[in-house]
Amino acid sequence: MNPANYLYLSALLFTIGAAGVLIRRNAIIVFMCVELMLNACNLAFVTFSRLHGNLDGQIIAFFTMVVAAAEVVVGLAIIVTFFRSRHSASVDDADLMKL
Amino acid sequence: MSATAAAVHSLWTTRALADTAATPAIPTPHIEYAQLSPVLIVFGAAVLGVLIEAFAPRAARYAGQLAVSVVGLAAAFAALVALAADGYAQGRSHVAAMGAVAVDGPALFLQGTIVLIALVATFTFAERRLDPVAHGNRVDSFAAQGSAVPGGEQEQKAVRAGFTTTEVFPLLLFAVAGMMIFPAADDLLTLFVSLEVFSLPLYLLCALARRRRLMSQEASVKYFLLGAFSSAILLFGIALLYGYAGTVSYGGIADVVDGTAKLTPALANTTGNDALLLIGGAMVVMGLLFKVAAVPFHMWTPDVYQGAPTPVTGFMAAAVKVAAFGALLRLLYVVLPGMRWDWRPVMWGVAIVTMVVGAIIAVTQTDVKRLLAYSSIAHAGFLLTGVIAVSPSGVSSVLFYLVAYSFVTLGGFAVVTLVRDAGGEATHLSKWAGLGRRSPLLAAVFAVFLLSFAGIPLTAGFSGKFAVFKAAAQGGAVPLVVVGVISSAIAAFFYIRVIVMMFFQEPQPQGPTVAIPSPLTSTAIALGVAVTLVLGVAPQYFLDLAGKAGVFVR
Amino acid sequence: MNAYAPILVLGGLGAGFAIFSVVMASLTGPKRYNRAKLDAYECGIEPTPQPAGGGRFPIKYYLTAMLFIVFDIEIVFLYPWAVTFDALGLFGLVEMLLFVLTVFVAYAYVWRRGGLEWD
Repeated sequence: MNPANYLYLSALLFTIGAAGVLIRRNAIIVFMCVELMLNACNLAFVTFSRLHGNLDGQIIAFFTMVVAAAEVVVGLAIIVTFFRSRHSASVDDADLMKL
Repeated sequence: MSATAAAVHSLWTTRALADTAATPAIPTPHIEYAQLSPVLIVFGAAVLGVLIEAFAPRAARYAGQLAVSVVGLAAAFAALVALAADGYAQGRSHVAAMGAVAVDGPALFLQGTIVLIALVATFTFAERRLDPVAHGNRVDSFAAQGSAVPGGEQEQKAVRAGFTTTEVFPLLLFAVAGMMIFPAADDLLTLFVSLEVFSLPLYLLCALARRRRLMSQEASVKYFLLGAFSSAILLFGIALLYGYAGTVSYGGIADVVDGTAKLTPALANTTGNDALLLIGGAMVVMGLLFKVAAVPFHMWTPDVYQGAPTPVTGFMAAAVKVAAFGALLRLLYVVLPGMRWDWRPVMWGVAIVTMVVGAIIAVTQTDVKRLLAYSSIAHAGFLLTGVIAVSPSGVSSVLFYLVAYSFVTLGGFAVVTLVRDAGGEATHLSKWAGLGRRSPLLAAVFAVFLLSFAGIPLTAGFSGKFAVFKAAAQGGAVPLVVVGVISSAIAAFFYIRVIVMMFFQEPQPQGPTVAIPSPLTSTAIALGVAVTLVLGVAPQYFLDLAGKAGVFVR
Repeated sequence: MNAYAPILVLGGLGAGFAIFSVVMASLTGPKRYNRAKLDAYECGIEPTPQPAGGGRFPIKYYLTAMLFIVFDIEIVFLYPWAVTFDALGLFGLVEMLLFVLTVFVAYAYVWRRGGLEWD
């Protein structure tokens, strides 16, 4: 199979994630969409690694996974504190500083 | 099957050998620990800080953390000076750690700036005289217990027990170490990892305010979601650049851009797709512009700056800008100089919009922290004019401007922490009316900072602006300089409005009081004033220093 | 500049179409809302943010799960090293010890501050 198809898939996943970040109102789901974007990047890295025949991309995918895990932990901690003090995880409720 | 395809497969399949014990030898990586020592010292101090949190009794943590942070940062600065004295800033600059980290003039200069900013920020983090004594305990600007629900029973218990979040010091150190690698990163993977290493602690620090906790948590959520979004965009850009060049090292990509790369036949077929280069480069630059708060990507700045604890805001405003501009400079000057005819027009647009929008929206602000946030956006625009010059003087002027801007910003936010009323900091500008009558020294100091932001002669802000505008004009960007001067004039209007308000209006009857700080915050403010005046009156030495440091290694 | 003209024209057409559709839809379309229509689509389940059982949030599980994920993923770096262990020699061993030591510092923090206690 032509490896370029994986690139199209990765671009598609990235776009879905980006659209989700912009459209969805629930902080957790926005965050899940960001993770989807990161994983789309991973797919692109691995595909390019296969195309170029060097291993850099696969190593980068490892690093991306670890960074994504760290981001999950920090992000969920922040969102959970936010949820506990407001009983809502909607980003529309985050309007204390609106003018 | 062609020869190239066979070469590809041999990466993950190996011919069965009779002697199975023989593993193919891998060249052992080489790490130059001495040249990386500044970053390693800061990381070590941070890890030590985590251990203190884990094992030291609660009463001993604050003093221990403060000592570890100050000693660690001072040692890192000493190591940086030693490296620069050894000639790594000029003749001996090279790329350490298997091409991951550059040790050159701009890297050492920016790392030194970041470490000094962090040292001053540590002082403001550690300030414990501003809040009234609560239940017999002196407290700082950070939450008693970050995980407790605001206003809940657990929080009251923590406040009564006099808890403080001493984790802020290790978090600060981790962020500083990430920021030190960021402008020195010499491949895109290091760039991304260091971006996250400094961003994640900052997201947490934003959520840890003692007062107005809901606002602080809200700022943190916003910063986190937008920051994660922008770093995902940056990462996809990295993926595309990797697809373009077959490597993530800055030098390697630059060679492919210039067409001078020596490629193996396998790579020659798959690299050099210009669409990948243009889109990937744009996405990486977008991620960096988000961090410097340039205009289409600035939406988070006012809210985050307003909601975060003020010492954190000061640190963020100063250090993130230094680190991110360092990375932006290196990316545009080392990786993409071959594409400057493509990115310069875009950067022109971004710089113009950033300067104009930052200056105009700042005029309408009524909160001093939001005002300083918009001023930091406008300053990002001025810095971008220096970046656009694409010349050695462009690099050195941006380096100089960053020093001038960051210490003034730290001092400015430190002043904001002192003006207080019953609800904590009194950040609404109307409450600052008549402050000059009540506390002339503080108002005068803040006026000095505002004049420096405005770029009035004999302040650091003027020397910096003059340097970047001169570099931009020499680089052929005269219209940009005209826009810069006009938006400086607009910006000067609102800075001077605040000064007029402080000195020529009657104080409100129920106005805020000015807290008497400990020597920690006084030092931060005094340093800000000193840098403002020294760089304003006698900038030449520092301009020369920045000029000498302005050559990237490749 | 001429080369960019088609792009500008296309952008203009696109923006015009978008504005036209939105304006016309809001002017001419019928507006009959009901609860299901206003709900966010969430793969057929009740959308968050109101979890079942009166809005309670299982905070303990969240903490344990997060700790598991972060330590689990760190181990990913041990695999490439384990495969090339003898080729990398002492250098690899020392670097890996430093890495594992750092992870253990984080573990010690979690343990001492009660992150591993269920109650």
